[in-house]
Amino acid sequence: MILTEESIQKIKEKAARYPHRKSAILPALTVAYRQVGHLNDEIYREIGRVINIPPVEIAEAATFYTMFPKKPVGKYLLQVCHNLSCALVGADSMITYLEDKLGIKKGETTDDGLFTLISVECLGSCATAPMIQINHDFHENLTREKLDKLLEELRAKA
Amino acid sequence: MAQETNEKAAATPVTMVTLTIDGQSVTVPKGKTVLEAARSVGIDIPTFCHHPKLKSVGSCRICYVEIEKMPKLQVSCATEAMDGMVVSTNSDQVKQGRRAVIEFILLNHPLDCPTCDKGGECDLQNLTFAHGTDDSRNDFQKTRFREDDMSTTFDDKSIGPEIVLNRNRCILCYKCVRSNKDAFGEYDLGVYERGNIAQIDSAPGEQVDNPFSGNLVEICPVGALTNRDWRYKIRVWLTETTPSVDNFQSSGSNITFSKERQKNKIYRVTSRPNDDIDDGWLPDITRYGYQIVNSPDRLKKPLIKKGGTQVEVSWDEALDTIAKRLANIKDSKGSVCIGGLAAPSLDNRSLYGFSKFFRKVLHSNNVDYRSDCRMLPSSSDTICSRLAMQPFSISDLDDSDVIVVFGSDLIREHHNEYLRMRKAFNFNGARLFSITPYAVKAADIAELEVVHRPGKEEFVLQAVCQAAVEDRLVDDQTAGRFREQVGNVDLTELCRSAGISTDSVKQIARALASGKKISFVVGEIVTRSREREPIAAAICNLNKLFGLHDKGQVAILARYANSKGAQKLGVVPVPHKMLVDKMNVLWSETPSCEAHNTDAMLALLKKEEIDSLFVLGANPMMVYPDLQFAREGLERADFLVACDLFETETTQLADVVLPLCSWAEYDGDYVNLEGRNQTARAAIKPIGESRTGFDIMAALAARFEASDLFEVDAIESEISQMLAIADTPALPQEYTQVRASEDKEKDGFDIPLYLCDDPHHSGHLTEKSPSLAEFSGEAYAEISFDLANRLKLRNGESVRVESPVGKIIIPVKISEILNTDVVLLPRNFSSTPTTALMMRKRRVDMVKLSKVDD
Amino acid sequence: MNEVLKAVGNVFLKMPLGFVVTLRHFFKKPVTLDYPYKKKPMTPRYRGKHYLERYDDSTERCVCCGLCAAACPADAIYMEPEENEKGERRAKIYEINLLRCIFCGFCEEACPEEAIFLGQDYEFSDVNRNAFIYTKEEMLVKHPRKDNPFKRLYRRVRKVHGVTDKIS
Repeated sequence: MILTEESIQKIKEKAARYPHRKSAILPALTVAYRQVGHLNDEIYREIGRVINIPPVEIAEAATFYTMFPKKPVGKYLLQVCHNLSCALVGADSMITYLEDKLGIKKGETTDDGLFTLISVECLGSCATAPMIQINHDFHENLTREKLDKLLEELRAKA
Repeated sequence: MAQETNEKAAATPVTMVTLTIDGQSVTVPKGKTVLEAARSVGIDIPTFCHHPKLKSVGSCRICYVEIEKMPKLQVSCATEAMDGMVVSTNSDQVKQGRRAVIEFILLNHPLDCPTCDKGGECDLQNLTFAHGTDDSRNDFQKTRFREDDMSTTFDDKSIGPEIVLNRNRCILCYKCVRSNKDAFGEYDLGVYERGNIAQIDSAPGEQVDNPFSGNLVEICPVGALTNRDWRYKIRVWLTETTPSVDNFQSSGSNITFSKERQKNKIYRVTSRPNDDIDDGWLPDITRYGYQIVNSPDRLKKPLIKKGGTQVEVSWDEALDTIAKRLANIKDSKGSVCIGGLAAPSLDNRSLYGFSKFFRKVLHSNNVDYRSDCRMLPSSSDTICSRLAMQPFSISDLDDSDVIVVFGSDLIREHHNEYLRMRKAFNFNGARLFSITPYAVKAADIAELEVVHRPGKEEFVLQAVCQAAVEDRLVDDQTAGRFREQVGNVDLTELCRSAGISTDSVKQIARALASGKKISFVVGEIVTRSREREPIAAAICNLNKLFGLHDKGQVAILARYANSKGAQKLGVVPVPHKMLVDKMNVLWSETPSCEAHNTDAMLALLKKEEIDSLFVLGANPMMVYPDLQFAREGLERADFLVACDLFETETTQLADVVLPLCSWAEYDGDYVNLEGRNQTARAAIKPIGESRTGFDIMAALAARFEASDLFEVDAIESEISQMLAIADTPALPQEYTQVRASEDKEKDGFDIPLYLCDDPHHSGHLTEKSPSLAEFSGEAYAEISFDLANRLKLRNGESVRVESPVGKIIIPVKISEILNTDVVLLPRNFSSTPTTALMMRKRRVDMVKLSKVDD
Repeated sequence: MNEVLKAVGNVFLKMPLGFVVTLRHFFKKPVTLDYPYKKKPMTPRYRGKHYLERYDDSTERCVCCGLCAAACPADAIYMEPEENEKGERRAKIYEINLLRCIFCGFCEEACPEEAIFLGQDYEFSDVNRNAFIYTKEEMLVKHPRKDNPFKRLYRRVRKVHGVTDKIS
């Protein structure tokens, strides 16, 4: 079992709120993602067993949403927005800067397992572009210095 | 796992709407789409994702039409027809739209038509020719899905034993996924990812191996899903088609054979949609079962046992020998010493010829077609046989609002009815109830699944009746009569002995009382039970109490392709009186000697009171539920004749073996379980020297100087007169006391055993089909997860199944569906004689399981 | 006498004159061919005996799609496909009946894989009718041909279908 008793309880709680069990798929996936950090086939099967839905339906929903990583990621998932507003004010250079600094390519994880760098579509913070989402937190109005500081802090925390 | 949506059909009166399509005025019921309206008057609108038996999704958008007052083109498959609409299906704007859609679909579609098996019958090819452009404006790399470990340039992926997926070709019409979920209730295929990498694939860690998976290939509009059966074999334009009828299922799905012009070989089976029977869906048994016809193991010449071994001889020699021996036995010991067993999958003419040969030429009444039932009653006019003769209509299941499945594992026995039931649930909101001794797949959409203690069928029925009377669900007069004639039984007592809850019984009683149109379907667990008569009596009580017959249909479903025909043509020892009367008219006399059914024949063979048995296409050694009993009988036969397509356990014992044609090799009529007489046309010439059942009977009759009785025209007219007897015997008008006997408990044997068909097999022939053997190729013991846990068994490990009379060691299969202690064994594999565990006189066979320690 | 002279004159004067045309050919290049010892070079577009092409990595091009057989007006081509060890479609049997073939070249035109061509070879007489059933092994050339500009291969390397990469 990958899911903890607590997560299963949470999923059951959420499932009870909806008239159709199918509606509970996304909340359940979120719970699982927050616990595990990524999703995989075994998790789909476990959720399926908990909310009594064929695992294939859960896998369909999970793979549709790119926000759920499907492979193990580093402790900090750096999600740089590359959509229009951010791109206009230099998201691309932020990505290359991070690539150079961390020594990885987009989509890869650093050797120490701390950082995974990906670029994502609009996160709805266009006013404060360029921006990055690290795990569940926004960091806005990015500059190179700000990024350096952020990475330092995260390294220190880890 | 239950289905999610259950939309109740609104019971509003049908209102009609009138619209104009291409200047033509069309009137359709409200709720129909523009596409359906157009097609109803023969205006063709191209489609990819639309399927008449599925809900619309409008994902391909090729069905664009222009509707006045609507600013943009509309997808006709998802636009409801409205009053006064003015629709144009071939305006310039529509043509431009279609061209754009084709161009868009072809963006990522590889042009590998030369290697694609769909080439020649591909919707995309056809519509590109009709509506597309010659060239593409796009000159960039197409999206390509490939597995990391694949080394081919053709990115195919095997997603099941039979299905090969090429995701590059997929145009995402979702027809496969939709039909798999909505029509078949299977969840082993899904759509993953999004955008231009959206792709079809099997469910995580699973294989697409459901018993309907062949349909996914057939409805794929492109070559994304192909099956190994047809893959790289032949081009479709080189084949010819022959209309035929399925021979493995009692519903008689309509099929089409594709064969090559010059070779005597069938290449595939496709559906020939008939909404009354199959809705265009074929189970895999039907789709891949035809492969037995081309099997290299087919018997090609007659064999005669000479000095212990069977040697090939000419037909003349074989027939002369049979005629001589039969005449000898008839003259010396009397014709009562000759018996005959026919297979219920033979055509009308063979069965009728068989019965006529025995009755009219040999003057013997010992004919039977039921070689897989034990302890048959000697009389044929019983309540059970009357129930089996009741009218039944497959399409009536569609609009039934209450469907009760009693004693039937539909997915193993009646695939078409299984799909109909799902259709009734998914599209018409029917309420389903399942009453079985073990949990079945069909129950996943049931409102209530009642799993009773094995061998207590009649208790459940009695309890339902009792609950209706107690809860005053039926009017007082009826209830009074019931009480008077049956007496009062304690409901809780009944439920306790059947191992069910009183609430569930009451729920069923309420549904039966309130249902407007009820289908009460009875299956094989009843017909093959020793106590079939008391159970049938209980069903009749229920029928009378709730008036089911007037509110719908109650019937025992026929099991094999022509079981109903065999019934109607009287291939039983003592046919119903009206059949005997007709025979007397047609033949001027019928023999009056003693009649023996399968059981009695085998018992008398053992006692050497019957000397000869003529087996036409049947295989009692494999399907008779007591192997030892069958073997003792057949081994002692002085003269055993067996006709079959293959060498079977029965032909091995036979003195003379005759090669039989398969149903694809001659024109034959088959009566399906509704009583519908359908014709299967000959697709190929007989393989080897095989002959049809009728030819064999006629040739034998000629040797008895009775060939005038077997003139084809006369036989045909006699058959049509026999089938024309329309009367169905009435069900009993009074309530009857239900008295069933119980088995004596045997110590140590505590798990009930049920012999059934594998969902991918039917009878003893389908194991010769390589494709079906891919799905399921060897016997297994299916048990529940709990039981496996207790025995510390994992999937695939060997288990010893022991009964008082035998034991076998077979791999275990842990079922997701079973939830009680019960063992299911398939009877379709000759390598594992599962009938060896069964005892003829028992109602429910009990076994014990133990783990095999290596 | 005069008559005699005239006749003699005819022999010695007019006959040689008549032979001039013949004699002239003694000094011309012969129009006939020393056939069995010398072969006539055919035009580049000549439609002779068929051959099957290969890719540069020597896999056969023919995928047994059946279009040549469908295009063939004489119904001379018979084929049966199979799956090769990589799961690709290949011809198991590919036969051309040269007695039926009318050398129209429709097969070459129909071929979507640039696999079959009609070559320069015109010598295929035999005394045995069965020898005219020309099999795949006999037709497959050892190496891709590059010399004939009219039988040029546009795709030399195996690639996924639908990908535009024309190498000329």
